[in-house]
Amino acid sequence: MWKASTLASDPHGIGHIAGSWLASGSSRKLPAALKITDGLFVRAVDDSGKELSRSLVGEIRVSDRVGSIPRRLTFDDGSVFETTDNDAVDDLLKLHRGSGGGFVHKLERFHPRLIIVVALVVALGFALYRFALPIMVEIAVIATPDVVPELMSEATMESLDQLLFEESNLAPDKRSEILRGFASLATLSPRGAAGYKLHFRGGGAIGPNAFALPDGTLVITDELVELAPDDIDMILGVLAHEIGHVHHDHSLRRLYRAAGVAGLILLIGGDIGAGAEDLLVQGSALLALSYSRAHETEADRYSVELMAKAGRDPEAIARFFELLVEKFGDGGDMDFLSTHPATAARIAEARRYAKEVLGK
Amino acid sequence: MDDAVAGASVSGARPEPRMTREQFTFTGTAREYFGIWIVNILLTIVTLGIYSAWAKVRRKRYFYGNTWIAGSSFEYHARPMTILIGRIIVLAIIIAYNLAVNFLPIVGAIIGVAFLFAVPWFVMRGLRFNARVTSYRNIRFDFVGGYWGAFLAFVLGGALAYATFGILAPIASQWMWSYMLGNLRYGDRTIACDPRLEKLYGQWLLPFVTVVVGSIAMAIIGVGIFFLLASVGMDLEGWMDAGDDAPVVLFLFAIYAAFIPFFLLFAVAGLLYRAGTRNVALNETIIDSRHLMASSIHRGRYAWIAVTNFLATIFTLGLARPWAAIRMAKYLAACTAIHATGSFDEYLGEIADSGAAVGSEFMDVEGLDFGF
Repeated sequence: MWKASTLASDPHGIGHIAGSWLASGSSRKLPAALKITDGLFVRAVDDSGKELSRSLVGEIRVSDRVGSIPRRLTFDDGSVFETTDNDAVDDLLKLHRGSGGGFVHKLERFHPRLIIVVALVVALGFALYRFALPIMVEIAVIATPDVVPELMSEATMESLDQLLFEESNLAPDKRSEILRGFASLATLSPRGAAGYKLHFRGGGAIGPNAFALPDGTLVITDELVELAPDDIDMILGVLAHEIGHVHHDHSLRRLYRAAGVAGLILLIGGDIGAGAEDLLVQGSALLALSYSRAHETEADRYSVELMAKAGRDPEAIARFFELLVEKFGDGGDMDFLSTHPATAARIAEARRYAKEVLGK
Repeated sequence: MDDAVAGASVSGARPEPRMTREQFTFTGTAREYFGIWIVNILLTIVTLGIYSAWAKVRRKRYFYGNTWIAGSSFEYHARPMTILIGRIIVLAIIIAYNLAVNFLPIVGAIIGVAFLFAVPWFVMRGLRFNARVTSYRNIRFDFVGGYWGAFLAFVLGGALAYATFGILAPIASQWMWSYMLGNLRYGDRTIACDPRLEKLYGQWLLPFVTVVVGSIAMAIIGVGIFFLLASVGMDLEGWMDAGDDAPVVLFLFAIYAAFIPFFLLFAVAGLLYRAGTRNVALNETIIDSRHLMASSIHRGRYAWIAVTNFLATIFTLGLARPWAAIRMAKYLAACTAIHATGSFDEYLGEIADSGAAVGSEFMDVEGLDFGF
């Protein structure tokens, strides 16, 4: 550690701060003291009282106070005065500039007040996750212009056609029967029949499946139709479920939510350590799982309502899930099952809701 | 100095340069850092993330400013606005990338490959920025590493380590350390780092054996538990079909729980390896061809501090993090020194700023350090 020797003369008796001085671009450290002259100039002087540097009080650059790390005062000529006497620098600033260590440093000092800061952080963090995040997702969904989901869906459809799908081999009369039924469902949804377009494809590697793209493009594979060849209501129940996903903007919501959670962890995390950060990300992945299950339930209910409105069997979606369980077992490794888990609870809930809707 | 002169007059030969040990020390306290840390979080939330750049500067300044050697501390000079702009750019890239992956899978894959080639550039610029905003005794550091060095060290090295299940990890470590430290400049002085491969393998052995033996032991225990349950006659299938969501959630947690010992095993092995290679790399780092860096981390102690820090952070819901960070910084500083040849203070007084580094950080983009 360096020490500055005390000065022999100090005419004003204030603004006398011990430290060391370094010329611009030099690493040579000289013991020095800081003095204020006429309340106008800040001067760095060496042991013998010789002036090393001077600047106007208003023009010297002072580094912000952080804890008790050394403070740096940079003169006009680029030379630097360094001192660990933070309090003295604060006094000097307060006296000649009217502000000391700054608001942030005052807040940071170890003080019972910090308990309030901790409580605020906990409350705000919770509110952010519980309330602000869903609101931000809603705003993002509303702010997304229609052309964005259209472009995304077009491109997804194109790449899926190139990578996975085959031409549909469905009989033309079966196809038109499904299309007619689908149109009667779509007309009853707020977007109307023009808001949806149904495609038939051979499933290839993904087998029996049905999914919706955010712009209202729906795809159903031959393999799924063949699961229930004589029961048109089951097929329509599945399509009504997919209409529900589009109606509730589920894919956009999921995307924005995932981005929002990742952003929150990265930004607020700051310094929580690598291990704790991994744990948070893993935890939020588990939460996202339950979030997508909530979406599935919502789409199931939509299917029940829409089918009832169309005068068809509202329990069709429940019957379809029972058919899946029967054919593939509970934990089959089909893709459709992993994204649409056909649990007993889900089937029971769909049946219960169908009775409720019919009972109205 | 007087001793050296006296020695020379007695022996009549060239003066034998005296070695002095200059010890790093860290003077931060958990009490002081707690306030800085919690206020950083509060203001980051209140400003919807904008303050995070200022928070980073305050945190870095606190840690640099409390790291001392030979009577002087380090300084961090980055400007928050530069960091904020960097972060906004990185955020935009991440969002665009996620949109692409979700909705344009083919384009996403292409961007993913392009991203792999962009990583070395980001790493290089990040290291340069960090070096240039760091100073010690008024002299800035600089970093002169190029693109291909970073490509070798971080992309190829990483791929090599993964593809060989860690067997070639020391080669990757050698590339990484010599790239990161060997391209560092202090003012107009060069720094050399050439960790020898056989020494890195010496540090690799213990973590590797830990993983192999630990995995075998855990596999045996796992199979044992399975047969135990089977012999007791537990009907796992029937339990799964119980009829509602609870078993599914329980099952997921069971899978996670089964992985926890493995995560811990790999984490501890990783800590042992990191500590060992840091020792090797720093012990073969020479400043300006005359001052030797020295690192003497005790691997077990390092792993202990890291693991207990993590547990303390988790069980206090994050509140012990400032204490943990300070504890680690203190330990690492206490294990690091420079064996200086001749009078270190006099040597330091002669170093000139190279000029290239000063001011140029304003053109650099930072914020690239997160996400990797």
